Amino acid sequence: MSDLYDLFHERATGAGAEVYRVAGCQEARERLTAILRELDARQVVAVRSPLLEVLDLDEVARHSAARVSYGDWRTTAVEADVGISELDFALAETGTLVQDATDIGKRLVSMLPPVHIALVRAETILPSLRQMMGYWTQKEAVPGYIAFITGPSRTADIERVLTIGVHGPGRLIVLCVDGGEGNR
Amino acid sequence: MKGKALQREIKSALADPQLQAALGKFCRTFPDARARVYEGRDFPALREEIAAIKRRAAQDLEQLVEDFVRCVTARGARVFRAATAEDARAYILNLARARGIRTIVKAKSMATEEIYLNAYLAAHGLDVVETDLGERILQLSGANPSHMVMPAIHLTKERVAEIFSRETGEQVPAEIPVLVKVARRLLREKFLAAGMGISGANIAVAATGTIVIVSNEGNVRLTTTLPPIHVVVVGLEKLVPRLEDVAPILEALPRSATAQPITSYVTMITGPTPAIDAQGRESLKELHIVLLDNGRTALRNDPLFREAWQCIRCASCLNVCPVFEKVGGHVFGHVYTGGIGLVLTAFLHGLANAEGIEGLCIGCGRCREFCPAGIDIPHLVLELRRRLVEERGLPWLEKILFERVMLNRSLFHTLIRAAAVAQRPYRGRDGLIRHLPLWFAGLTEGRALPAITDVPLRRRPGREGRPPGLHTRVALFAGCLVDFVYPEMGEAARKVLNALGVEVVFPLGQTCCGYPLRFAGAAGTAALMARQNVAVLEATDAAYVLTLCPTCAVALKHEYPALLAGDPAFAARARALAARVVDFSSFVLAYWTDSLTSTGGVAVTFHDSCHLRRSLGVYKEPRALLARAGYTVKEMATPDRCCGFGGNYAIKFPAISRSLLEDKIADVAGTGAAMVVADCPGCLLQLRSGLAGQNLRMAAKHTAELLAEGLSS
Repeated sequence: MSDLYDLFHERATGAGAEVYRVAGCQEARERLTAILRELDARQVVAVRSPLLEVLDLDEVARHSAARVSYGDWRTTAVEADVGISELDFALAETGTLVQDATDIGKRLVSMLPPVHIALVRAETILPSLRQMMGYWTQKEAVPGYIAFITGPSRTADIERVLTIGVHGPGRLIVLCVDGGEGNR
Repeated sequence: MKGKALQREIKSALADPQLQAALGKFCRTFPDARARVYEGRDFPALREEIAAIKRRAAQDLEQLVEDFVRCVTARGARVFRAATAEDARAYILNLARARGIRTIVKAKSMATEEIYLNAYLAAHGLDVVETDLGERILQLSGANPSHMVMPAIHLTKERVAEIFSRETGEQVPAEIPVLVKVARRLLREKFLAAGMGISGANIAVAATGTIVIVSNEGNVRLTTTLPPIHVVVVGLEKLVPRLEDVAPILEALPRSATAQPITSYVTMITGPTPAIDAQGRESLKELHIVLLDNGRTALRNDPLFREAWQCIRCASCLNVCPVFEKVGGHVFGHVYTGGIGLVLTAFLHGLANAEGIEGLCIGCGRCREFCPAGIDIPHLVLELRRRLVEERGLPWLEKILFERVMLNRSLFHTLIRAAAVAQRPYRGRDGLIRHLPLWFAGLTEGRALPAITDVPLRRRPGREGRPPGLHTRVALFAGCLVDFVYPEMGEAARKVLNALGVEVVFPLGQTCCGYPLRFAGAAGTAALMARQNVAVLEATDAAYVLTLCPTCAVALKHEYPALLAGDPAFAARARALAARVVDFSSFVLAYWTDSLTSTGGVAVTFHDSCHLRRSLGVYKEPRALLARAGYTVKEMATPDRCCGFGGNYAIKFPAISRSLLEDKIADVAGTGAAMVVADCPGCLLQLRSGLAGQNLRMAAKHTAELLAEGLSS
């Protein structure tokens, strides 16, 4: 698992993501608080999920200046400084996060705000795209919308110069959470 | 585009400093970046995996379409099968009208470019907004994409700033991060206002009804998420049988396209998903899938061109094409650009639109090495030319030259001799022609051409020789350049071979190998010349047929068996001849004796001729030979990049040829070697003309010449 994490960390960082590994929920809360303070985030939009429940995001928000809203995406996600959501898998080889994003909220919080904080459990790291596609193939029905996210939104359309943050987030911060609390 | 218009466009592309800088920088750095991102992967195996998937998809197309439609319909999507571009456009327009749509956001898609969707919808009063940054810039400036993956590669940030300033009415500075922010702000409004999103697809999975789309900017995610209606325009060739087939294609596509391990986003959509309208109400999205034929079935049903079905549209054939690097996609293409673009154009936009630009492929074969779908693009381009010639006939001058002159060996050779006399007024003391009158003048601009020799090889006693201690016998196939321009290369080869105990015979009935005719699409006439040479060469009792020209070798070894495959009288004979053909360096290395070792070995650099390296697979042999002979080989930057000769190509497109030559000379000169060596008289003609044109004192020699000099010293 540690080898997989190391590779994921290397590749995701290489793709421009900021990756933190945290041992358990308490450390995750502390890291999240520090990030929100550093971002000076006021409006946070998030999607409820098992990991977010365990972390108690509202409690985290009380330690920073952020106000968290869940829902009414079309307004909140457009105006938010930060979007927070849990992703289902990580792929080591390409530093990718994967999510069943059929839920529109999951999509909008990771698309519209300038910063996306992605929470993912360390135990969900798979070696590569092949294993991931193998997983979806085994499922009885393919989810309506599967999202693969690797680093922030980028373009090189002007003079082939890499520039971050076009239509999607300019910053992707990944919190890779170890530990068994709140397991699904 | 053809004729004078094409020449004009070539000239202006070559004179465009921005285009030259952008393409040059990208194309020069791409191969290394791509190699890094494929590191540790078995590219040939991945290529075969993809080719097999796509071959199977072409084979089972009707079943795949049926499965796809059933699956995605069961998930709630609507599918429209569009036979033509007009059908697809009308369906989308009617849908937009029926739903009262005013604003449409679009993600980048070649299929929608192919059917000219934007212009059509705009002409019917709809506001269609491209959301890919490059495409949006082009849309605002009224230009077409110049590259399948990097549409605005030819524009500077200053130009983009002008375009955005006009659009916003503000003074936008020419700083890329600022320009990107402006685009984000402007397009975000459009995304939120749009009633419909249109995208293409990179893969469509028959077994699940899944659409796969890759993107870096995130516009695909917004286009497919925010508006309540999503229309996907999918070419039939994007269908693959199973979900497992997605992984290999996704492994290759971004690596081969932009040297990325994966794009920032990969989106897999299966049926309609929830959407939220402007009032915040959540409901299921409307998903419409337009399955586009528009000439694809004809491509699939063509036994030869079906190979192009394997294309995954990565555009790496453009990224490594030396001609594309020079002129870009506005010249080398018609919507679909570059080598594969020629084939797609012929089927999707009609053969007439490929006419003229099909000549731009120099046939160097580099794209074939890089194609992740295993498509022999140069071969398909040759076939395209053959069809054009069959349909339209040859231009009158070529018709007379090929059919009346070249088929008649004695007339052809008499005319060459006459030309030797006619050129005398232009020949300098060094035997080079530096200026030609009238319309030939372009040929000598910045270069010097060799004069036709007074005594061709076929009339020189030194063409043949029988040494004592005989090992074997070879028949020398000289080819036109060695016979009539560089007979000394033939004599040098004879000396070296004799020194190895090899007898050399020269069958006088040999004529042009016919490759230039094949290259021009005159396959029938080339086949007639093939028969002449097969008959002459099989009559000798030599064990091998040895050539000093790799193009002749490719003609004898690969083209003759293919050209004569359908002729029962010649098919087996052509194959038997092919098995005896060998190039000079491979043969000499196999028969090496230390008598060839030179004491005064200097540093040389070796230029890989396209046909030698990529068609015959010979590149280690000449280097090993040079090293054994006592020379140090200093590698140039890209030894296998085409020198720009290409036979008739240098005459047809002199400006491109010259520009490629300048790059080659810079690479050669950069090594600091004392001389450049090549195993091809054509490349040597080109290299010498470039060296002389730039007054460089460096020599350019055939390996045979170098080894022969070692013998006499």
